[in-house]
Amino acid sequence: MKLSKFPYLVQKEIFDHIKHSNLFWLSLFSKTMKKFIKSSQTTRFQSISRITYSGFANKWYVWISYKSKNMYTMEEYEGTELIMTMSDLDYENYAYFQLNVSGKKIDFRVPDEYPFPEACFHPSHKESTFASIHNHLLDLFGDTVEYIWITPGYKYFIPQLPNLLLCVNIWPDRSEMVNNLEAFFNSSPTLKHINIKWIKLLLISPESRFYQAESIRIIKPRPPTVNIFLRNFKGRQATLFSCECEVSDLIEFMNRWRSGEHSGKLEYLSIRGTFGARHRNGVLNANFVKHIGPAKKPPTHSVPDLSAPEPALTIKPNTDPITSHFYIVRETDNRVASVSIQGPKFQFGVWKETEEEFLRMVK
Amino acid sequence: MSSTEQGTSSAAPAEPTTAPESAAAPEVPESFYYVHGKDKVVHKVSAGALQHSALIHGMISNLGYTEEQAKANPFPFENIDGDILQMVVDWCNQHKGKPTPPEDTNLPKQKEKLFDLVLAVNYLEIKELLTYCCKQVAMMVKGKSPEEIREIWMIPTDAEDEAAEKEAKKRAGKEAAGETAAAAGDAK
Repeated sequence: MKLSKFPYLVQKEIFDHIKHSNLFWLSLFSKTMKKFIKSSQTTRFQSISRITYSGFANKWYVWISYKSKNMYTMEEYEGTELIMTMSDLDYENYAYFQLNVSGKKIDFRVPDEYPFPEACFHPSHKESTFASIHNHLLDLFGDTVEYIWITPGYKYFIPQLPNLLLCVNIWPDRSEMVNNLEAFFNSSPTLKHINIKWIKLLLISPESRFYQAESIRIIKPRPPTVNIFLRNFKGRQATLFSCECEVSDLIEFMNRWRSGEHSGKLEYLSIRGTFGARHRNGVLNANFVKHIGPAKKPPTHSVPDLSAPEPALTIKPNTDPITSHFYIVRETDNRVASVSIQGPKFQFGVWKETEEEFLRMVK
Repeated sequence: MSSTEQGTSSAAPAEPTTAPESAAAPEVPESFYYVHGKDKVVHKVSAGALQHSALIHGMISNLGYTEEQAKANPFPFENIDGDILQMVVDWCNQHKGKPTPPEDTNLPKQKEKLFDLVLAVNYLEIKELLTYCCKQVAMMVKGKSPEEIREIWMIPTDAEDEAAEKEAKKRAGKEAAGETAAAAGDAK
């Protein structure tokens, strides 16, 4: 008895009870199977938020992350599910079998350690194998899912693939040339998150794609790096740790944002430094900063943290909440940003709401 | 028709389980219907148990058969093997008037039997049992190698799919040619 002989709705119900990792596995069996899975599981696939490739030198892991945890399967309850691995290591004593993935025959094995397929390839076929697997995933899960490549360093292999976003750690040594980093930024996939610590950061060109990353975390930027960064950053979220910056840098940043000419996409900025009363008074007493009466309760700003590599696994999937009586208003569209400076932390959270809408949320 | 009348399955509850009725309402005797499969063995099943099947429930609603009429007109399901229909009847009896549990572990483990049960249950429109069966079919491939999965579900390769498609086209072409020739013959 062939499974394909069952009526469509019966086949669909059977597939509804198969977890995503096994559906992916089955989709590799034939074009017809893949087509059926795609058409029958469209609604279920909407629960997927991202496909993550994470890896090191010779082995890469492919994960599914779900938009929210639920009890449908244990995997969805845990929020994430490993679907396959990829390796360019030579396993001589394993039994391989071949599957056709997006037109390319790829060797697979099922490792003893875990029951997931592992694509095995010669290092020289790395790029083409990743491309075939990525194309298969893109076709199966669609382009509404985020495809993210997470790499521990910029010198690791990063493929050039469509619809791929990159999360990367960049901690070069002092001898690294600016040109090398510039070349990396200009040739990399779309930058989703950069975690960087580098003394020569201020030498990066203002036009560099570095500044277009959606989210950046900078460790120990020194003057005038902070000012230069705040002038040029075009992304959505930035966190600066162990900073040294002047009151004038913060006021200049707020004034630029207020004018609507800079940082148009900014959602969240956090700067941890050595701030004291001088900074606090300087920032909050700037003449364009508005104030909500102390008896009233302002709304709390928090947005999904773009730097969280696996939001479903992260204890803190959102940015630190900002509840502040101080805010500024952008001149061009009347949108509000909450401003907070407490202890060693300056926070700036941009609302989708206009001033009028924002004040309606004040209790 | 050589029929062997059977009572409700041995696993069926001895006493009828019906929803509690108000004390004032008169006791309505439970009505029974008769079904048989390919083997012509007739099964006597209560209307309460048959409610699980949307198909049969639709057939018997407002039918108003007397016991004699029901006995004389069993519902024939010639497309369902006798042993499979027996399983279905047993399941309906066991779950008559009861909420269905989240799992059912009494389904056949043998692949062919399970697949036949799926087809029967789908035909008879027994939603809960279909869900259990589909879960069981899905579980068959858990932890299996690709070759094992291909074998269990008889999944053709791309080459086999292409060959089958080619064959189907060829057959359709031949049939069309045959029809044209026959039509020409008729015209003469």
